[in-house]
Amino acid sequence: MNVFLLIILAVLATAGRVIGLVILSIVTGWFLAYASIKSKFFENAYIILIEIFESVPVITFFPVVLVIFITRIGGTLGVELAADFLVFTAVVWNIWMGEYQAFKTVPNEMAEVAENSNFSLFQKLRYLYIPFSVPRIAANLFPSVSDGFFYITVSEVFEVGIHTYQSFGAGSVLNTFVADANNIAIEGTLIILAIVIIIIILILREFSRYAVSRYTLDNDTPILKRGRLNMKQTARAFSVLSKNPLSRLATYYKYREADKHEDKYEKTLKREKYLKYVYASIGIIILLAILYSSASLIISVKSGEWQILFSKTPLLLIGLGYDYVRVGSILLVSMIIAIFLGYHLAVNKRAEYAGIPIIQTLSAYPAPIYFPFLFIFTEPFIFSIFGGFTNELYVLGLGFVSTFYYVLYSFWMGVKAMPSEYWEIMKNLNMGFFKKMRKVILPSTFPYLISGVSSTINSAWGGLMIGEYWPHIYGTHTLYVHTGLMKTIDISTSSGNIALAAWGSLIFGIIVAIYSILFTRRMMDMAQKKYVAEEGIYSA
Amino acid sequence: MVEELQINNKLNSEIVLNAENINFSYDNGYKVFKNINIGAARGKFVAIIGPSGIGKSTLLRILGGFLKPDSGEVKLLGSKLNMPTPEVALIHQSIVTFPWMTAEDNVKLAMKAKRMTGDQMEEKARESLARVGLDGFEDLYPKEMSGGMRQRVAIARAFAADPYVFLMDEPFAHLDELTAEGLRQDIYNILFSGETPLKSVIMVSHNLTEVLELSDEIYILNGIPASVVGKVDVAMKRPRNPRSDEFNANLDMLYNYLTPPRKGEEGKKK
Repeated sequence: MNVFLLIILAVLATAGRVIGLVILSIVTGWFLAYASIKSKFFENAYIILIEIFESVPVITFFPVVLVIFITRIGGTLGVELAADFLVFTAVVWNIWMGEYQAFKTVPNEMAEVAENSNFSLFQKLRYLYIPFSVPRIAANLFPSVSDGFFYITVSEVFEVGIHTYQSFGAGSVLNTFVADANNIAIEGTLIILAIVIIIIILILREFSRYAVSRYTLDNDTPILKRGRLNMKQTARAFSVLSKNPLSRLATYYKYREADKHEDKYEKTLKREKYLKYVYASIGIIILLAILYSSASLIISVKSGEWQILFSKTPLLLIGLGYDYVRVGSILLVSMIIAIFLGYHLAVNKRAEYAGIPIIQTLSAYPAPIYFPFLFIFTEPFIFSIFGGFTNELYVLGLGFVSTFYYVLYSFWMGVKAMPSEYWEIMKNLNMGFFKKMRKVILPSTFPYLISGVSSTINSAWGGLMIGEYWPHIYGTHTLYVHTGLMKTIDISTSSGNIALAAWGSLIFGIIVAIYSILFTRRMMDMAQKKYVAEEGIYSA
Repeated sequence: MVEELQINNKLNSEIVLNAENINFSYDNGYKVFKNINIGAARGKFVAIIGPSGIGKSTLLRILGGFLKPDSGEVKLLGSKLNMPTPEVALIHQSIVTFPWMTAEDNVKLAMKAKRMTGDQMEEKARESLARVGLDGFEDLYPKEMSGGMRQRVAIARAFAADPYVFLMDEPFAHLDELTAEGLRQDIYNILFSGETPLKSVIMVSHNLTEVLELSDEIYILNGIPASVVGKVDVAMKRPRNPRSDEFNANLDMLYNYLTPPRKGEEGKKK
C-alpha cells in the first residue's frame, strides 16, 4: 500500500477512534446523568466512581486492559478493544461529569414545564436535558479530545514481556516508521496528524460558538437553579445511607396510603416511583460488580506473591513521593505561565484571537508523538548544560507540555467570565497589575483556577507515566528517571510483572483518590462557596 | 360515553380547583403552612397575597401538584391531584422559554405528550400564539424577543395545553411597568373569552395594584406557619381604574391586612 495512503488511513482510524469514543461517552453520559438526578442512591454511587476514576490517569487501567482484553479476549478484537478502553477511560470522566453537572443545574422552572406537560423520559431528555447539556459538553470536548489523542501512543502500541500489541492507527504506524528510521514517513505522519487535529479543533470551535449562541439561557432572565452542586452531599460514601431509616419508612407508608385513593394522576406517580427503584437497583448492581471483581482479583493472588508485593510497598511509596514533587514542579511552572499569559490573552483581543486556537490545537496535538523528535534535536545541547539532570528535565518537560494548557485555559476562561463591574472598579481605583491580581482577579477566578489545577495534575501523571520509562524513545536511547512510581509500573508492565504493575496502580489510585477527595474536592467546595464572582454582583 | 358525562358533570360544578387543610413543611423541618383552605370557582380570577417569604410560590406549586403536602388534599374538579398535569398550567415568575426552540416549537412543547399529529400541533401552536398577539412571530427564537414577548410565548404554551386552571406565579414581575400593564389587560381579556376550556385562574403576586386590577377574590396569607388570615371579594366593576378612590380604598384595606400596626397606631387601622 502507498505509504501516504497508509498514513492517512491510520490518522483517520485514530481520529475515528477518539471521536467515536467521545460520542459513546456523551450518549451513555446522558442516561447516567438522568438516572443520577432521579435517584439519590444511584447519584452517590455514580459520582463517587467518577470522582475516583477522574482523578487517576489511564495507567491505572492498564492491568485491567491486560487481564480482560488481552488475556481473556485476545486476538485483533482484544487488542482493538484494549485500545478503545484506554482511550475511553481518557475521555469519558470529563464528559460524564460535565453532563451530570448540566443535568443537576437545569433550572427548576424548566423542569416544571416538562412535568407540567407530562413528558415521558425520552421527551424530557430530548426537549430539555440534552439541549441544556450541549454548552457544557462543548466546553468539555476540548480537554476530552486532547486527552484521547494524548494516549494514542500508549493505547495503540504496548509491550508486555516479549509481546508487542498493536492496533491500527497513527501511533502504531509511527512506531513502525521510527523503527525503520523512515524519516519522510515520520514527517508525513506528523503533518497529516496535525492537519486532522487542526480541522477537528476548528470544527469544535464552531460547534462551541453554535452551542453557546443557541443553547445557553438568556442572561436577562433570572432563573432559579436547583442549587449549586453540593459535592459534599454527592461525593461522600456515607451519604448513600444518609437518609434516616424512619423517614424512609414514613415515605413508604405515605405511598402505601395513597394507593387507597388511587386516581388517574396517581398512576403516573407510581411509574416515577418504580423508575427510582430501577435506578437505585442499577447503582447497587454497579457497586456489587466492582466489589465482586475486586474480591476475586484479591483472592486470585497467592499469599507468597502478596508478601513480595507488601515488601515492595515502601519503595513504591517513595517513588510516589518523587512523582508528587515532579507534579508539584510542573504545576508551579504551569501556574506562573498561566497567570501571566492567560491574563494577557484575556485582556488583549488580538492576542486572544490568534493565541487561543493555537493553544487549543497544541493541547490536542499529542505530546508523545512529537516529543521524541524534540528530544533527539535538543538532547546534546541540554546534556552539555545539565549533565546528569538531563533525563529528569526531559521528563518534567514532557509532563509540562502535556498538561500546562489546562490551567492556562481555565484561568483565561475565569478572567473572561469576570463581571464587567469588577473591571470598572479596578480601573476606577487605578490598580496596578499585581494589586489587581492579588485583590480581585485571583480570588474571583479561584473556582476556574482550582478546576484547571485539578486537570493539570491529572494530566501531569499521564506525562510522567510515558516519560519516566520510555524505551527506545529514539533509536537505542531510553529515557528514564532514577526513582518514580510511574517508572516502576512501566517497567513491571513491559517485563510482564502484571502483579506488581497492578499493585503499584492500586496504591497510586487509592492515594490519588484520597488526595482528590481531601484536597481538590475541598478546594472546589470552598471555591464554590466563597469565590463565585457572579454572585457578588447579583446579590448586591 | 360514561366518562364524558362524568367530565361534563365535573365541569358544571362550581369549584374547579380547591385545597383542603393543607399542611406543609420544608425538608429542614420548617413548617410553612397550617390548615390552608383555598378554592377557585368557575369563571373566577383568584389572587393569593402575603408578605415576602410567606410561601406563596410554594403554595402555588402544591396547588399544581408539583409539591406534595404533608397532609391535606388538592382536588381538581373533585379528583385528587397528586402530580402535575397539563390541565393545571403553571406560568412562572421567571420567563421560561427554551432558548434552543422557536416560539412555535416552544408552544408545541405543551402538546408533545398528547396524541396529536404534526399538523394539528402546528395549527394549535399558531392559534395560541395569535391569541396572545404573537401572530407572525412564530419563527423567532426567544433571544430575538423582548421580555414581554417571551412571557407571551410562555402563556401561549400554557394555553396550548387546554388547561382548566392557570396558576400564575407573579407573571409580570420581570417586565417593565408599561409592558406589564399592557400584558395584564390583554391576558385578562383572553383568559375568560370563552374560546378556551379555561375555567379559573389563581395568581400569586406581591403587587397589590395588579392584584386589585385583576382579581375577583383575594386570599391573604400571613403568620408563621402561614394560614389564610382573610378573604376579600372584590366587587369593583371592570375595567378597574387604579386612580379611582374606590380602588385606592381597597388598596388601603389590603395594605392594612399585610402590615402590622406600628406603635401608636393600634386601633387606627381599619
